[in-house]
Amino acid sequence: MRMIGGLGEVVWGQWEEVRHATAVIGTALSLCVRPRYWVRTVRRAFAHHVVAIGVESVGFVCGVAVFVGIAVVVQLTFWVGEAGQSQMLGPLLLTVVARELGPVLINLVVIVRCGSAMATELGIMKIGGRVRVLEAQGIAPFIYLVVPRVLGAAVSTFCLTIVFILVAFGSGYLFGVMLGKGSSDWLLFANSVFNAVQPKDALNVVAKSILPALFAGASCCIGGLGVSGSVLAIPQATQRALVRSVTGLFVICAVVSLLTYL
Amino acid sequence: MMHAPADILKFHDVTIVPDSESGLGLSKLNSTLAAGDLALVLLAPEQARIPLADAAEGLVKPEQGTGTFLGEDWQTMTVDRVMRQRGRIGRVFEGESWLSDLYVDKNITLAQRHHTRRDKKEIEAEAIELCHVFGLPELPRGWPSSLQGQDLQKAACVRAFLGAPVLLLLENPTRGVYADLIAPLMKTVNDARRRGAAVLWTTNEPGVWNQPELRATVRYRMRGSPMQVMEAAERAA
Repeated sequence: MRMIGGLGEVVWGQWEEVRHATAVIGTALSLCVRPRYWVRTVRRAFAHHVVAIGVESVGFVCGVAVFVGIAVVVQLTFWVGEAGQSQMLGPLLLTVVARELGPVLINLVVIVRCGSAMATELGIMKIGGRVRVLEAQGIAPFIYLVVPRVLGAAVSTFCLTIVFILVAFGSGYLFGVMLGKGSSDWLLFANSVFNAVQPKDALNVVAKSILPALFAGASCCIGGLGVSGSVLAIPQATQRALVRSVTGLFVICAVVSLLTYL
Repeated sequence: MMHAPADILKFHDVTIVPDSESGLGLSKLNSTLAAGDLALVLLAPEQARIPLADAAEGLVKPEQGTGTFLGEDWQTMTVDRVMRQRGRIGRVFEGESWLSDLYVDKNITLAQRHHTRRDKKEIEAEAIELCHVFGLPELPRGWPSSLQGQDLQKAACVRAFLGAPVLLLLENPTRGVYADLIAPLMKTVNDARRRGAAVLWTTNEPGVWNQPELRATVRYRMRGSPMQVMEAAERAA
């Protein structure tokens, strides 16, 4: 009985955190469509976070994409050729790289690279009284700190996912050609991929890259701004935020897959 | 046509519960600051961070009483209104007040860039002018951590006076820089009062409290926990 009670407590706690994150995302999205909140300081903060999360990660993401391209695309090209199912190459590539691997990997990269920094930075600001300084100057922390980070994470993750998919396909194709596996005609390769693309695939990529990023951004902001007491609370809050973000990523990806393809 | 000076800041029986950090609160504070008024508040040396300025900005909710700014109770304003009204207040903060991810010049101009559509160059020109008044050769452009404490305190004064605020909250502004800052600060405060601003100045330094040139409208000595006005002296009109 006590175990069931404990389980219920955990579930209830998680549910509250999800509700909180959802409220933050909803508020951020509803505020971001009102031009009066996009004052120059907020625009600047948004641009700063897009650069920090997105642009500065491009090199790393391209590196990961090259290795994924080599590993996955070459394997697929090889086995599809072996099985005599060359017409399946496009759909399989889309399924593995674009639909599943791309969004999940990029979200993980963003969470690890920027989510922890986001939660720690906000935690330090909160403990150091800087959030209060912003409020005292009439600058709403939600508008100035949370909205640019949450939206910056979503926009950056989506763009990085597209970069990842293109680089992974490109590197896989080139490596396959170098090894003499699969067709060396790049038009044929591109055609087999694009022919397999359906509207729901595009929707899937958009949803799987943006929704987990929004959730991770909101979770890390909640974690950072929720810190109180001493700086010793910051690592714990950051850790909790990262665990929540990663869990959210896999749950959201699974739900989106189920809703899109079943 | 002359308008009667409006009440800029009014505390009516304001009681604030001591917070866990400073352990200081306020007890039944009554005070009114109209345009051109200056309230000087002398605190005990160990009582630096009192919630007076926070109460003046509606950052802490009074347990009892009301704090109003330009006739509006902070507690009844919408969030957007609260933020807009706080944008009309200049403040020198007690303790750390610099965003570490912004250069000092960006910190100084942040509120003006956020609340107004003034041209960036115009804001910077005003900031540079104030820097010269407070003894800084130029607008500091480095990270806050790269500046000396004295220069940061002068930069804090520049930030507080930038944009001609209606209300100035000066929390120990001469801390560590009394000799350098008292003269320009008094001049700037008196200029601000002449244009219609109200000033609430808290200090631990009796030298500031006894400055005759400041011509304070009201002087308070506050002591105790929660803090109470122990002595009030009003200047004859």
